[in-house]
Amino acid sequence: MRKIKIDKYHIYELFSPLLGVLAAIIVLLIIGVAVGENPAATLKAIYKFTMSTSGRLATVFSVAIPLFISGLAVSIAFRAGVFNIGVEGQYFIGGLVGALAGIYLPLPRIIHIPVVAICAMLGGALWALIPAMLKIGKGVHEVITTIMFNNIALALANYLVNGPLSGRGEVSLEAQTHHIRETAQFGKLNHWFRALGWNIPNHVFMDYSLIIAAIMGILVWLLLFRLRYGFEIRAVGTSTDVSEYAGIRVKRIQLGAFLTSGAIAGLIGLQEIFAIRGFYTYEIAAGLGFDGIAIALIGRNSPLGVIFSSILFAFLTQAGYGLQLYTSVPLAITFVISGVMILFIVVINEIVTRYIRAQRKKEAA
Amino acid sequence: MNTSIMVNFLFKGLEMSCPIAFAALGGVFSEKSGVINIALEGFMIVTAFSVVWGAVAFQTIWMGMVFALVAGVLMSLIHAVATITFRVNQIVSGVAINILAVGVGRFLSERVFGQETQSAINPFLFPTVMGINSFAFALIPIAIISWFVLYKTVFGLRLRTVGESPEAADTLGINVYVMRYAGVMLSGLMVGFAGATLYPTKWVNGMTGGRGFIALACMIFGRWHPIGAVLAALLFGYADTFRIMFETMIPIPSQFVMMTPYVLAVVVLAGMVGRARPPAADGIPYEPGE
Repeated sequence: MRKIKIDKYHIYELFSPLLGVLAAIIVLLIIGVAVGENPAATLKAIYKFTMSTSGRLATVFSVAIPLFISGLAVSIAFRAGVFNIGVEGQYFIGGLVGALAGIYLPLPRIIHIPVVAICAMLGGALWALIPAMLKIGKGVHEVITTIMFNNIALALANYLVNGPLSGRGEVSLEAQTHHIRETAQFGKLNHWFRALGWNIPNHVFMDYSLIIAAIMGILVWLLLFRLRYGFEIRAVGTSTDVSEYAGIRVKRIQLGAFLTSGAIAGLIGLQEIFAIRGFYTYEIAAGLGFDGIAIALIGRNSPLGVIFSSILFAFLTQAGYGLQLYTSVPLAITFVISGVMILFIVVINEIVTRYIRAQRKKEAA
Repeated sequence: MNTSIMVNFLFKGLEMSCPIAFAALGGVFSEKSGVINIALEGFMIVTAFSVVWGAVAFQTIWMGMVFALVAGVLMSLIHAVATITFRVNQIVSGVAINILAVGVGRFLSERVFGQETQSAINPFLFPTVMGINSFAFALIPIAIISWFVLYKTVFGLRLRTVGESPEAADTLGINVYVMRYAGVMLSGLMVGFAGATLYPTKWVNGMTGGRGFIALACMIFGRWHPIGAVLAALLFGYADTFRIMFETMIPIPSQFVMMTPYVLAVVVLAGMVGRARPPAADGIPYEPGE
């Protein structure tokens, strides 16, 4: 039997993201001191808003759901060497297409929600299609085209919600669509958790999007690590040249991964649209796509890693609100910390990699 | 259409083009040295804030300018340290800096002006010439100087060599790291100018509105050439000015007008195929051989 040897270096690699997080927390505390809060008060505010009650803790997990889906979407593209910065636009369009299915299709509950999810995925994939084709067919860098498509998506959603799809006046005078049909609305799963002994208060959204996220997580894991196609994706992401020599059709794989990424991205907004608001508006939370990039990186582009990093980001988001509420640290700090954290994580990762390489060389010598 | 509107359009267009054009020049310097810089947008958020901050604090626009340039260089140093010294993926670093910059802008605004979303009004401006910010005219000499520096000086030759073939440059005794730091810091400096021409009357959260990204498209459209990049920026700037001045006369929904520059950018990039070649080592961290 082959013995699996766990190298101490693997452990270093695994822990390097945590060092980045730690460094970011230290930066946070230093900024806190700079604006006149002592570190203990800062930490206490964070604790109070994220962990002090079961409701607060459950909220962190609830906030993590769309972040997890976003990280998953970015990571599958990353795996194939594609930078999908367009997740942002893809979920605005995916959410819109899903909402259309939820508003206009009269279907029984049992199939309405799956139909909505599939429509959202198609919408997201559709929005990834042109940047993907331009990359594959003409070599236009996807980073720039997807950024342009993000802006186009926002303007388009803005137009549709104000124009042809407007349901203004139904509940409020804000720009929004008509209401989602009863049969498509996402119910809550809080009672499931209550049955398991975790008392999640009713105001927390632990809804069907959790099931969607779980299914997607499992599917992506199966795809990446159990299917030939996933192996090819990983091969392409590691080296396009080697993959080419090995007979893998690199362009087709990248196109597929790009569209899959877009399809998953289409699901990000569902929690807010179908569980929280009950209608679509272009004012759904923005920026989740960019968070997804950080989440995918911190989670090392694996579904399991993305679970942890999305919870970490959700924690950070909630911590930001806590700081705003209980201390004089402004909410803007969450952006600063996100940025600093990504930088620290990638820099520390690089240092660790170099160290390991040097050590290996020394051992080999 | 009467001439005064035409003249007005001509000058207003120059002013509107400036932030994009300066940022595009910044992109050229960085990428010519081999470092992809998608953080231009983030740099601009901070420089646009700094110009208002410096001007209000010292009651002169010149200090605003100094603040903007220093802020641009400081932001670019983050990118330089991460990507050149630590060889971090350049796009990842850019994304992180763009997120960081949103926070820095809002954080500073909260500390300096007491609110996160906007600054106080800055009354200390460059003199107005022909109805526009007179500093906008500096775009022309700065574009020419950029071309001269890149193509007619030893420094420029070295910068371009480092972006095309760092190994060869290293062999010739050029310090790849120093040249790349210079390229990235020059991009920060240029975005300092961009911030000073954006809207120095007041800083508002989100005011850069994607201009840093449009600048990247201009850089590619201008084939990584300073003059080409500036001409591309003028195209976008004038298109935008046209939109603002004649919006009420255009019978299509404003949202479609809003997305025009982005659609234009995609179309332009799609049409550039095969004719736009980035510097050969653009995006590849330099690791000295052993």
